[in-house]
Amino acid sequence: MTTRNREDYLISILRLTEGQSAIKTTELSTFMNISPASVTEMVKILSNEGLVEYEKYKGVKLTESGLHVARQVRKKHHVMEHFLMDILNLDHDAAHEEACKMEHAISDESAVKMCKMFGIPVDDDCKSCKNPCDACLGKTNDSSKVLVSLTPGEHGMISHLKSDDPDVVKKLISLGFVPGREVTMDSKISDKGPRVIGLGNSTVALDFGMASSIFVDVSS
Amino acid sequence: MPEKMLQVALIGQPNVGKSSLFSRLTGVGVISSNYSGTTVEFEESVIKRNGVNVRVHDLPGTYSISGNSADEDVAIRMLSDPDNDAVVLVADATNLESSLVLCFEVMELGLPVILALNKFDASKKRFDTDVDALSNYLGIPVIPVSAKTSEGVDNLADAICAGKATVSAFQVKYSNYIERSITVLIKLLGETRFSKRGKAVKLLEGTQDFIDGVPDDVQEKAEIIRNSLKELLGESPNIEIGRDRYAHSDILIKTVQKKTQRPQTRAEKISDLTIAPITGVPILAAIFAIMFLSIIYLGEYLSGAVEWTYDVCIGDFIDNLAGSLGGNLELILIGINGSIRAILSLLIAYILVFYLILGVLEDSGYLPRAVVLLDSLMHKFGLHGGAFIPMMVGIGCNVPAILATRSIHSRRERLIVISMIVMAVPCSAQMAIIMGVTGKYAGVEYALAILVMLLVLIGITGLVLNKFLKSEPSNLAMELPDLVMPQAKNVLYKTWERIKDFFIIAFPMLVVGSVVVEILLAYNALNIIVDPLSFITVGMLGLPAVVIIAFLVGILRKEMSVALLVILAAPLTLDQFMTPEQFVVFGVVMAVFMPCLATFTVMGREIGWKDTAIIAFVSMAVAILIGSLFNMIFIAF
Repeated sequence: MTTRNREDYLISILRLTEGQSAIKTTELSTFMNISPASVTEMVKILSNEGLVEYEKYKGVKLTESGLHVARQVRKKHHVMEHFLMDILNLDHDAAHEEACKMEHAISDESAVKMCKMFGIPVDDDCKSCKNPCDACLGKTNDSSKVLVSLTPGEHGMISHLKSDDPDVVKKLISLGFVPGREVTMDSKISDKGPRVIGLGNSTVALDFGMASSIFVDVSS
Repeated sequence: MPEKMLQVALIGQPNVGKSSLFSRLTGVGVISSNYSGTTVEFEESVIKRNGVNVRVHDLPGTYSISGNSADEDVAIRMLSDPDNDAVVLVADATNLESSLVLCFEVMELGLPVILALNKFDASKKRFDTDVDALSNYLGIPVIPVSAKTSEGVDNLADAICAGKATVSAFQVKYSNYIERSITVLIKLLGETRFSKRGKAVKLLEGTQDFIDGVPDDVQEKAEIIRNSLKELLGESPNIEIGRDRYAHSDILIKTVQKKTQRPQTRAEKISDLTIAPITGVPILAAIFAIMFLSIIYLGEYLSGAVEWTYDVCIGDFIDNLAGSLGGNLELILIGINGSIRAILSLLIAYILVFYLILGVLEDSGYLPRAVVLLDSLMHKFGLHGGAFIPMMVGIGCNVPAILATRSIHSRRERLIVISMIVMAVPCSAQMAIIMGVTGKYAGVEYALAILVMLLVLIGITGLVLNKFLKSEPSNLAMELPDLVMPQAKNVLYKTWERIKDFFIIAFPMLVVGSVVVEILLAYNALNIIVDPLSFITVGMLGLPAVVIIAFLVGILRKEMSVALLVILAAPLTLDQFMTPEQFVVFGVVMAVFMPCLATFTVMGREIGWKDTAIIAFVSMAVAILIGSLFNMIFIAF
């Protein structure tokens, strides 16, 4: 099984499940346009490699490391797609087609450099995952912290929002908590209590739950 | 032929000063305070300039127009109204970034806009703003104003009436994926009141109010595009759209607004202290202590002063007149005179003091800070800190307090807060009874004991309801306004607005009611009510049987029960009529007793009649229960 083949499987599973649930091999075979028999065969190999968990009847699910690889590939896909569309002005379909091939060829390092070339923070605008992955952050993602963990006086730039509740995300956006903006922790009433946050020229109080949905890059 | 009337809507984020500006523009008084969400219903009025009439609507504050809250739905409905000719976007010049994002949203919908830069005077201390450059860039008229000083308000009114609002060609350019999706959607959309581009963006955001009216097949396509964007971007397109808007706003502000260096002001230093955990709680406690002490002592002092003034001006004269008439007429006159004296001295004093303090707290911008401090405590009742503001307002009157709960979006939480307010937050009339009647005739320590009992009752109500209506409290997200020195003019104006009903409606009602009851009493017509219910008044509560009349009339208006008490006592004075212990029981029952008629009506409208009836019944039962408990304790000791 080639690297490319393996990555194609992983990214397909990721696209179908978002790393959350399991998917039936039959569905995977329809999605990838490959015979069910070969899919089952491949999935067993991937399972041996520890990239997926496979249970008969339940289906296939990405493991932690499988998810990691898949996200990295998808990120590369989107970086390439972004490049083809925004710089070379290809249309979306052509860009997608080509990015599907390039995603397997480009190294982690070059992908990060491309991100940087766009002049946007790498963790912020790779347009792929909810969680920035290692490949795009250079070495580690230590610099992205959940907003509630900031100590008073600490500041940083919003890297992403993450919540199970879409309404929370909508509400945060409308209040102005969008990636790329500077935030400062002004005060913390108690550990599980609300946080007072400086955002631009305004001050906003958020309860613990909402402040837990905001992730901040404190490296700069 | 009637002339055509222009119609404009004032839109802006919460607490940018829309209502103050509305008052300045139209001369119509609107209650405004220094925190988000003071306006829960929209107001309208007409301005006239050079023969042009313009109807102006003041809308509740909205952070965006995405239908995130009932307020945003109201705003969207107003914008969708074909009769609405233009939008005046009210921005906060001291916090332009987020106001501009809302402005982009409105311009994108293809509506004619005028941008009013409110708080421009305050912003001059911090920024140097190039208004012309901003106007050129946005392609709409930009008018600096100050609702505080009225500066620029005339220019704004002129611009509105001259129809200067402009549909701008300015566009936020979104990232490629979004732009492509917009292009696809635009082709599918038919002509509507809104621009196709604006409508397409709303479809991508998944804003229900805009989706509704779109043909089914287009809705489906939009949903597919939205989902594939989500997969492509790995996050909601809304985040992407929001990010691009803020990026534009940020760039724009960097070119038109220069920050001037300045040290931290004293207000900012105080503000830091009010929200730091170590100093914040003591400050909150101190403010509460000062508030209640002022109500007790300042209220008592004022009460004496009003009583003295009343007697000097008119009271003594009526008593003398009554004495010279003699007979039944004497009794009636003395009773009525006493009741008027009691009402004026008690109620005016205590209501006035509370509303003045509330006005100062509201305008200073302190209340949202208290909300933050109390958030964790409120969570125990299944609420978030925001519930504190309606409760505070409830110390004045329950009616606006119940309206203020509209800012709480979960019905469950509204039910809990409303129950807490109705059961145990004493309105100013109840406060006057506790302080002025129980406090005066049984001692201040008993009045304080009743307040403590109410505090416990608030807690119990919250805990019990939270147990029955179990669920996570909704999220607290509240902007903290700058702390400012309240302006005497606005505080006095609000106080007058809030107590004027008392003079215009309540006072005449009280006088008429007193006369009616007095006459009924004189002819023993009330015994049909008094006798059958005496098992409650005499049996359980240990009060004189006639006091039931005071309780029942208290349902009409709480303050009337004080007046009634005086009449029922006549010819005895109050201290001869009941013992100090009886005054305590009376105070306890009145403090918890069911909501007055106005509150009852508002509750019915806001939360439905069934729950209203339950809450009213429970409050009555609890009032009698606690009253009996106090009575038994007094008997036992």
